[in-house]
Amino acid sequence: MTSAPAAKTVITFDDRTVRRFMLASILWGAVGMLAGVFIALQLNFHELNLASWLSFGRLRPLHTNAVIFAFVGNMMFAGVYYSAQRLCKARMASDFLSNVHFWGWQLIIVAAAVTLPLGLTRGQEYAELIWPINVAVALIWGVFAVNFFWTLAKRNEPSLYVALWFYIATIITVAMLYIVNHLSIPTSWTHSYTLFAGVQNALVQWWYGHNAVAFFLTTPILGIMYYFLPKAVERPVYSYRLSIVHFWSLVFIYIWAGPHHLLNTALPKWLQMLGMFFSLMLWAPSWGGMLNGLLTLRGAWDKLRTDPVVKFYIAAVTFYGMSTFEGPLLSIRAVNALSHYSDWTIGHVHAGALGWNGLMAAGLFYWLTPKLYGSRLHSVAWANFHFWIATIGILIYVASMWVSGIMQGLMLNATNAQGTALVYPNFIETLISIRAMMGFRIIGGTLYLAGFLLMALNLWMTMRKGKPVEESREVAVIDRGAKDTMGMRETFLNDPVAYMFAGLFLVLAWLFLPPGADIAALLCAGFFSVIAVKKFREGHGRWSGWYDSLLNNWLPFTVLTFVAVALGGLIQIIPTVTVNRAKNVEDRIQQVYTPLELAGRDLYVSEGCYNCHSQMIRTMLPDVLRYGDYSRLGESIYDHPFQWGSKRTGPDLARLGGKYPHSWHYDHMMEPRSTSVGSNMPSYPHLFTDKFDQKSLLRKIAVMTRLGVPYPAMTADEIKMQALEQAVKIAEELKAQGKVAAPDTQIVALIAYLQKLGKFDTPEVERKLTPHGVPFPLQPALPDSHRKTVSQNP
Amino acid sequence: MSAKNQPDNGPVLREHVYDGIQEYDQKLPNWWLFTWYITIVWFVIAWVAYYQLGRGDSDVETIQKAIAAVEEHRNKELAALDDDKLWAMSLDPKVVDAGKATYSTTCVACHAPDLSAHLAGAKLPGLPLNDTEWKHGASPTQILKIVRKGAPDLTKGMPPWEPQLGIQRVVEVTAFLLSHHKKGEAFTLAADSPLKAAP
Repeated sequence: MTSAPAAKTVITFDDRTVRRFMLASILWGAVGMLAGVFIALQLNFHELNLASWLSFGRLRPLHTNAVIFAFVGNMMFAGVYYSAQRLCKARMASDFLSNVHFWGWQLIIVAAAVTLPLGLTRGQEYAELIWPINVAVALIWGVFAVNFFWTLAKRNEPSLYVALWFYIATIITVAMLYIVNHLSIPTSWTHSYTLFAGVQNALVQWWYGHNAVAFFLTTPILGIMYYFLPKAVERPVYSYRLSIVHFWSLVFIYIWAGPHHLLNTALPKWLQMLGMFFSLMLWAPSWGGMLNGLLTLRGAWDKLRTDPVVKFYIAAVTFYGMSTFEGPLLSIRAVNALSHYSDWTIGHVHAGALGWNGLMAAGLFYWLTPKLYGSRLHSVAWANFHFWIATIGILIYVASMWVSGIMQGLMLNATNAQGTALVYPNFIETLISIRAMMGFRIIGGTLYLAGFLLMALNLWMTMRKGKPVEESREVAVIDRGAKDTMGMRETFLNDPVAYMFAGLFLVLAWLFLPPGADIAALLCAGFFSVIAVKKFREGHGRWSGWYDSLLNNWLPFTVLTFVAVALGGLIQIIPTVTVNRAKNVEDRIQQVYTPLELAGRDLYVSEGCYNCHSQMIRTMLPDVLRYGDYSRLGESIYDHPFQWGSKRTGPDLARLGGKYPHSWHYDHMMEPRSTSVGSNMPSYPHLFTDKFDQKSLLRKIAVMTRLGVPYPAMTADEIKMQALEQAVKIAEELKAQGKVAAPDTQIVALIAYLQKLGKFDTPEVERKLTPHGVPFPLQPALPDSHRKTVSQNP
Repeated sequence: MSAKNQPDNGPVLREHVYDGIQEYDQKLPNWWLFTWYITIVWFVIAWVAYYQLGRGDSDVETIQKAIAAVEEHRNKELAALDDDKLWAMSLDPKVVDAGKATYSTTCVACHAPDLSAHLAGAKLPGLPLNDTEWKHGASPTQILKIVRKGAPDLTKGMPPWEPQLGIQRVVEVTAFLLSHHKKGEAFTLAADSPLKAAP
């Protein structure tokens, strides 16, 4: 690098990597959507559960993982690699790392596509992949991060454009979420138990799950929108100021909203409250992104008529606005009581995935392909046709899921006028009533897939007409002193950051201090906000000047972004992990699984039962009437992983244990329709022939013990004997009921587990939630411990 | 927000160009800002009122009250029932039809549409209900109790149906079963009846 002011250099962008990621995204997108159509068919035609490895419970994770990580993942990388190089005026820092990133990611996808149908899973949604693949994902993500930040460091454009802010937030936040939620202890090369259990696991999982949506499916795509949409419409972005406000508020608030997946459950009340209200406060920041996208088109609305790329972008941004309005709505506890576990949520995520992600991807690919191959789009008419069948497909899909979800939700929650009995006591009656809607979903999804395949054909024809081209450009090399000069002192010790932290500290004091002090802290926070706004008005020039200089410094910007995204998780997770532990449980505590029951539970996880069955009875009368007493926090405290579930295609199983005879489960697993007429559950004939895994029990119990589950000390033989004794007893009981099962078969272990569900002990000694003798800041105290929200036995 | 350097006739276009992209610096839309402020204010009000000051019932209190109401209703209904009343209901076609409707969705999988617990020659998991051999007692209140609470050992027999069906449907189903029998008919206890062991 030279210090001469006007030195110029010619750079060639690495567009080969962009092309590769784009092709991979198209390929995996088609696979993921095909899997989606297939599992939608399975829900209506249970006969399509053709084999154990083709059953719904194993294929649904394949569908979700393929669409999120393979389709959107590769699309995101294509968009990031293309735009980051141009925004940095630099080639990607290392071709080697780009290659490792691309091939590593594809290998991970292949590994996922093999292991998931085999039933190798961690049993957490969107975090199903087994631990060796988790390690690979973390490493490859690290490669991406190094390559990206190294390119930032070498950039020939001092100022970071808003698209890069979103990429930075994506990379650091996904790394944080992914690593924390995948912490587990292996029991073998293909199996592990999660570090967290029960309520802690639930909180961490949905901190991850919700923010996978936020930071894998939203922020990178917003970054892509900020680069490619103004490019396509050739108009300036609507508002820089809006970019700043909505970026920082989005990344800060999103992280807190995870508990909205656990409303009305055994999750402590303060977390439910935070989840709901942060979701509502997220509405405006999300719409800031939509406004900046839509209003950029001001003065160029005519392009919407002529340019298919613009059509796709604008429809995508509109769907983004719709989903981010629906999200806060679904987070209201009263709405959630109806919508949760129902198809409404499925419709909601598909409005986002098909509408926002899918249409953005299409717009991106239609725009990129002619540029990357030096040709013209093969057929604008095909692209327009794709646009219409995709849009109609989404609308059919989403509308049918609305109707289905709201109808089934209303039926499941309906009680008679006195509130003393369910109106629709038979779960299957509610399932049958939504069959037609599930059929419309298949039509909508198939239309969308057809449009996607037409796009693939159109792009292939476009590629054939041209040749891969690498764009070269002459750029001015910038002075060393023109960028990246800000130190940590200047990063943190300035008015905007200092006021933010002080305000945040007061807000936290309001949330966490005991009664009396909390209101005082709130008043202080209010008073302080007035001062801050006054200071901001006076020092506006200085504040925005500082921000402009921050944009010339990638590392301080990244550090501040990390602080913003880390806070919400820390504040929710750390108190929960330290306080909500087995030793602090007050009313009910789960009975530890016997070795056989543990083997059965691993089968339950492996078959993906949690995809359709919850194990969480909410604090709602219809739930209690239908499934039994509401679930307490302590009743899943030893569950590694927790299996609270997120969708009830079938009924809740939290209190299934002891409700039916063994023979009922036997018949039901062999042919669900023999005991439940009209059920759409797959049959599980292989459970009756395959043996359950006895060998690994020793290691599994050793890991469970390390994780704090109070197993008595047992030798390998004792474990095996105990498992077999219980198995023989169940087999004999089955025989007395006229059913034949070998004691070492999987069905026996599964029945043992199912009969254990909902079994708890009541601790004899009265426990205190918090230890004494330590002053407040050191003593872990949850907001709930001061208030009348702790769930207690009457 | 300050409007420094902003001409009256249009938004400020920022000078910096990023790979051909420029940015306006429009003011934040007021309606957008106000929706945001409203959600923030609502958070503060709700947290203080419902959580910190404890206005209204907590979730646990709400659900406990609802459960208590269901139990009270059930106890009232049960107190008004005895063998004679149930026999009388079994002669009321309206009650029997309602019971049949519930039976045909909830009970047929184990007890068969004709109550024989056999379907096409195959034995179903349930016990026959159309003969005169009873396992848990033949009196209307004994039958009602089994339908309500299930078998004494649930892992070997019938599940409890009262929570899911509600007391009214359970009574109706009992009336439907009784409509296949006559008051005072002779019955035997099954060989494995838990009632036999009792003195």
